[in-house]
Amino acid sequence: MYGLEAISTHNGWAMAVAGVIIVFCGLVVLSTTIGQLHKVLRLFNGGAKDYQNGKDLRRADGTEGAPASDPTMKHKLAESTRQFRLVSDRIGEPFPLPKLIERAELSGLFRPHSTINDLLKAGLIVPDGKGYFFWKQ
Amino acid sequence: MELFFQFLSNTGYYLADYRQLIMIVIGSFFLYLGTAKKYEPLLLVPIGFGVLVGNVPFFKGFGLGIYESNSVLHYLYFGVTTGLYPSIVFLGLGAMTDFSSLLARPSLMLLGAAAQMGIFFTLLSALALGYLPKEAASIAIIGGADGPTSIFLCAKLAPHLIGPVAIAAYSYMALIPVIQPPIMRLLTTREERLIRMPEPREVSKQELILFPVAAVLLCCFLAPASIPLLGMFFFGNFLKECGVTERLAQTARTAIIDTATILLGLTVGASTQGDVFLTPKSVGIFILGAVAFSIATGSGVIFAKIMNLFLKEKINPLLGAAGVSAVPGSAREVHLVGQAEDPENFLLMHAMACNSSGVIGSAICAGILWSFMVVL
Repeated sequence: MYGLEAISTHNGWAMAVAGVIIVFCGLVVLSTTIGQLHKVLRLFNGGAKDYQNGKDLRRADGTEGAPASDPTMKHKLAESTRQFRLVSDRIGEPFPLPKLIERAELSGLFRPHSTINDLLKAGLIVPDGKGYFFWKQ
Repeated sequence: MELFFQFLSNTGYYLADYRQLIMIVIGSFFLYLGTAKKYEPLLLVPIGFGVLVGNVPFFKGFGLGIYESNSVLHYLYFGVTTGLYPSIVFLGLGAMTDFSSLLARPSLMLLGAAAQMGIFFTLLSALALGYLPKEAASIAIIGGADGPTSIFLCAKLAPHLIGPVAIAAYSYMALIPVIQPPIMRLLTTREERLIRMPEPREVSKQELILFPVAAVLLCCFLAPASIPLLGMFFFGNFLKECGVTERLAQTARTAIIDTATILLGLTVGASTQGDVFLTPKSVGIFILGAVAFSIATGSGVIFAKIMNLFLKEKINPLLGAAGVSAVPGSAREVHLVGQAEDPENFLLMHAMACNSSGVIGSAICAGILWSFMVVL
């Protein structure tokens, strides 16, 4: 038996359709679950108040970040911002992060990965949605 | 003198068949591809050498061949026919997989699902060509581009096809740099290939620990037949991520997976004996395998383009090609094709997310097909 007759006889169409639906549904459920995982964990770890702060920050500038409320932290961030702006001025805006890190390393800035991470979390560097970044005014 | 002639009549030179000689040439070719060209050497070298060993002519009845019940090769082959080696390989794979890029952007998991369309399309094609349902399912799983999964399902459903299915699956995995790039370029525009992916968010350690637990429960409840593969896969990943079993994770991703790979490759290669392998059915398997691979690549890319119709932040459709389970070969190819257009476009980690989801998707498909065949 060959061709469409063979497929119909062996329930091929049903198997193909059911299989596609099952695998898609399974991975959709899995991706939805893990997509919510970090929110559930944040709720569990920090409480509802921290979750609300995070939500407000995301609404404000579309990025995640904890507020830099500590004065020492604010000063460090301000200094880092000044230094990295000088570096990014040579690249122009929007800039790719790998290039900024490379230039920062060449300029001798200390721990550029960690500093840029702090600037991202504070919402001072924001993504433009196309893989590049710019300074939040 | 009679004794001498009797001895000569028992040598491989006297007993050689032209099909065994052809297989020896094929095995040598695999060794060449693996060693000189460095195409998936960890797979092609054991398989190639196994083909040489398995096709040495011998006098049947002395417990020498892989299909003779009291031979050493037969005892080693036990791990293939029972699905033991593929499960152990998946343990090691889980222990070396980093899911942070997938957890940072879970929507990429859908590309892994889309790439499994190749499996079901090939199932229909194999049925149309006259293969029995269990044979068709064993051939279709080649589209998942996952060697251990293909061998596992084939061992359960159509053990007589393990040789050609495994050779086809691993050959096409080794030929990813040849098969995938033209399909990727054909189905995408230059503008689409230039799309840069946003930086992934930071993923916490707690997420990485919880993910294998949640995933194994969700996937295995859906398709219990995938327990041997996904159970081991996520167990290996949990060993890696929990932080308190680093020694076990280290052993799983080094000694254990290497041992299983050696024995799996060698025995699969040895099982491809000329009289079994060189048949029209095997040729059909190779052709269907190529179709499966190509459809899987194309469907992943096309699904990514469909997703972009609904997304504000577009994803690079090349990532769809990484939805096949060939880790990390297809992720590497996606990255290289993207870099050919824009050297500063780093797609590798995003492609690895799709690759990882492809592993999960193909194992689920194997479980689904096995369930269907049990019912039939």
